[in-house]
Amino acid sequence: MLEPVKLADFFTVFFSAASVIMFGATYALLFAWSRIGNRPRLMPLAYAAYVGLFASVIVLALAANLFNNTFWSVIVLLMLAGYLLAPHAIWHLCVGTHADKHDSAPIKVFQQR
Amino acid sequence: MAAIGLPKTAEMNGGQKLAMKYFTVAIALFGAQVLFGMLAGLQYLNPDFLFGILDFSVNRTLHVNAMVVWLLFGFIGSVYWLLEDEAGVPIVGLGLANLIFWVFTLAVVVVVLVYLLVQVGPGEQSSIWLINEGREYIEAPRWADIGIVVCVLAFFYNVAATFMKGKFTNIGGVLVMDLVALAGIYLAGMYYTPNISMDQHWWWWVIHLWVEATWEVLVGCLMAYGLIKTMGVRRKIVETWLYIEVALMFGSGILGLGHHYFWIGTPEYWFTIGGFFSALEPIPLVAMVVHAVFDAGHHKLKSTNNPALAWIIAQAFGNFFGAGVWGFMHTLPQINLYTHGTQWTASHGHLAFFGAYATMVIAFLYIALQKWRGNVYMSGELIGAWKWKWAIFLLHAGMITMVMAMLISGYEQSQIERAIGGSDWMAYFAGQSHRWFMQGMFWRQIGGWVFTAGFVLLAWDLMTIGKRETRPALTVAAETAAA
Amino acid sequence: MSETHTQALWWASESFWRKMAIWVTAGSFVVLIFLTFDTVKQITAGTKRVPAYANALNHRIDYVFDEQRNFQVPVIGVEEPLFGKILTEEEAEALVSHGKLTTQAKNCMACHTLLGNGSYYAPDLTKSWLDQTWGSSAAREQAMVDFLMHPELAAHNSLGRRMPNLGITEDEARATVAFLKWMSSIDTNGFPANFKPIDQTDAAPVAAPAAVPAPAVEPASAQP
Repeated sequence: MLEPVKLADFFTVFFSAASVIMFGATYALLFAWSRIGNRPRLMPLAYAAYVGLFASVIVLALAANLFNNTFWSVIVLLMLAGYLLAPHAIWHLCVGTHADKHDSAPIKVFQQR
Repeated sequence: MAAIGLPKTAEMNGGQKLAMKYFTVAIALFGAQVLFGMLAGLQYLNPDFLFGILDFSVNRTLHVNAMVVWLLFGFIGSVYWLLEDEAGVPIVGLGLANLIFWVFTLAVVVVVLVYLLVQVGPGEQSSIWLINEGREYIEAPRWADIGIVVCVLAFFYNVAATFMKGKFTNIGGVLVMDLVALAGIYLAGMYYTPNISMDQHWWWWVIHLWVEATWEVLVGCLMAYGLIKTMGVRRKIVETWLYIEVALMFGSGILGLGHHYFWIGTPEYWFTIGGFFSALEPIPLVAMVVHAVFDAGHHKLKSTNNPALAWIIAQAFGNFFGAGVWGFMHTLPQINLYTHGTQWTASHGHLAFFGAYATMVIAFLYIALQKWRGNVYMSGELIGAWKWKWAIFLLHAGMITMVMAMLISGYEQSQIERAIGGSDWMAYFAGQSHRWFMQGMFWRQIGGWVFTAGFVLLAWDLMTIGKRETRPALTVAAETAAA
Repeated sequence: MSETHTQALWWASESFWRKMAIWVTAGSFVVLIFLTFDTVKQITAGTKRVPAYANALNHRIDYVFDEQRNFQVPVIGVEEPLFGKILTEEEAEALVSHGKLTTQAKNCMACHTLLGNGSYYAPDLTKSWLDQTWGSSAAREQAMVDFLMHPELAAHNSLGRRMPNLGITEDEARATVAFLKWMSSIDTNGFPANFKPIDQTDAAPVAAPAAVPAPAVEPASAQP
């Protein structure tokens, strides 16, 4: 059963939903950046972004009445876990796909044919 | 090599010459989209403006149809552009391809003239066959639908036959499969039923599975080629990422169709499917942004073509914000109940279409023009670079202004009209005449003027970029040989 | 492919993701097809969610709150034939179809939304049959026909936004009203929410259309 958002919570829903995605991207970017540049100082910031994401998901879930129903509660848990792990997976894919034969690659000059 | 900076049509391959024709029409239609969008926007501010001559419905139809067609022309042109280069052989059936271009263009002109001059017909089958099908985005009358399918099949033949004769790269493979889906899905929108629920159920197949699935993958193919050309990214990496994108986009996007099936009569289980896949859909967009930044960092932003690279980066972010953030903000059914069919949707639609698609076609135009000018220099300190820089700035500033203005109007509308008023006639006009709404529409128009200025500058730049340049294109060190 | 060297990381390799792309796409598509069969069955006219054309046109349609589902649902009530004439299913389908064709030929969706889809320049039509704007339920049918034939004459709102005259004939107008009445009977999972339908409880048993068409109502809450 669906429980629509209360009028007073509209802004909260929009704002927290946008925050979820923004914090998610910030977390993913900081995570990648910290690893690329070998800047371990940035890693706490990345996880701070995840904490922001976590809080946003909870606020969104409360405002959109997601905890009143088992299915939507599961979605919330999946979001919390999935958005935590996805940037790790994305990062590993970035490295994994670029790793192959990188240093020994012959330099070729390129121009449009 | 002849002098740099002058048009070198003779040095281009057949597909590229054809692509330039498609690009020309695409830009003209982009202009039409902007023009009719501005007229429709003005009618929000002054309803008597062109009332009874070019009503809002006509302007709005032309606005969205011009968009669909200019993007299609841009995509088709881009594919013809890369086809011979990718496959390594001359295009198969170039004569047919050229004929189809003229048929397609002529059909578009006829459809536009009928929209403008005939506008509406009697409530009979003949009207939807000859004048206007009256279904958002695919208003084109049925004869034109059939024409579009024929044109797309001919296009598909060119692409598939050329790859089969030459070499089937991974980009080629994905492209061919995607075109099959693109053409097949369009058929879902080509039938009549009195049942509006059934009508909209299949209508979404066309709209959603084009825009949130097959178009995304098509753009992924163009992006892959663009990254190899402008930054010399290794083909193997680009193609692996193309497959990652296909898996993630189709994996989240095909069943993401569910978020359009909340309120049109379709069963309640779509709430759960739509909700789940809506939560999944941002992941590929975030992955693309992270990978774009990773790649750009890897290559230290060195490119042979700075305007194209700037638009490619704009695409990654535009797609992320337009589809990801703006989509997720109102996609859960608990809130979509109130935002469905308001300016919210318009805000999201503008940012997503511009961010994900217009940007990529523009990037490709710059890649094409570089070659057309005889592989002209397009890196840092290009002569007249202010034009492309200001164009990209004005287009984005205008778009962001429009989108934010519509967001505020939509926010007010979802409350006053939808939640409080219950979406009846009185509630609708109470929402429309609210201060926030009116001011939103005013600022939307301001954004429109800025966007228009950006478009004019873009068109001017496309016509002149590299003209006074005498340096040849920079060469980037490719990481390894192309496959 | 010409590249023959093997990738160390199988999960980051091109061939792994090619297979993933194919399987994920095919899997999603199979699930979609499966769901589509069920959905199409449930939204065929003459089912619980999408009533038969005659059933809707011959009876009163209401929109009431359902405690169990937690939103408003359309309810088919007492016999109340449209334009005072009981229709067979064939006649009703032909009438609704004529109305639907009219909405397409006049491109209603380029200003209005239907079931929430379309454009945002004019009100949503999902429940327009039940809109209080039509005055009394007795006068409604004729008021709608009159409006559709001469919308440019009605003062709709304080904004000055008007519907243009689209050359809708009387037959087309009546068919459009039939289409709108039928559309209001579709179960849209509670969209639009909080809609307050026209009072139909004391409706006269139809037959004679009201002599004076109800004027379109000005929105009371419009701000200057």
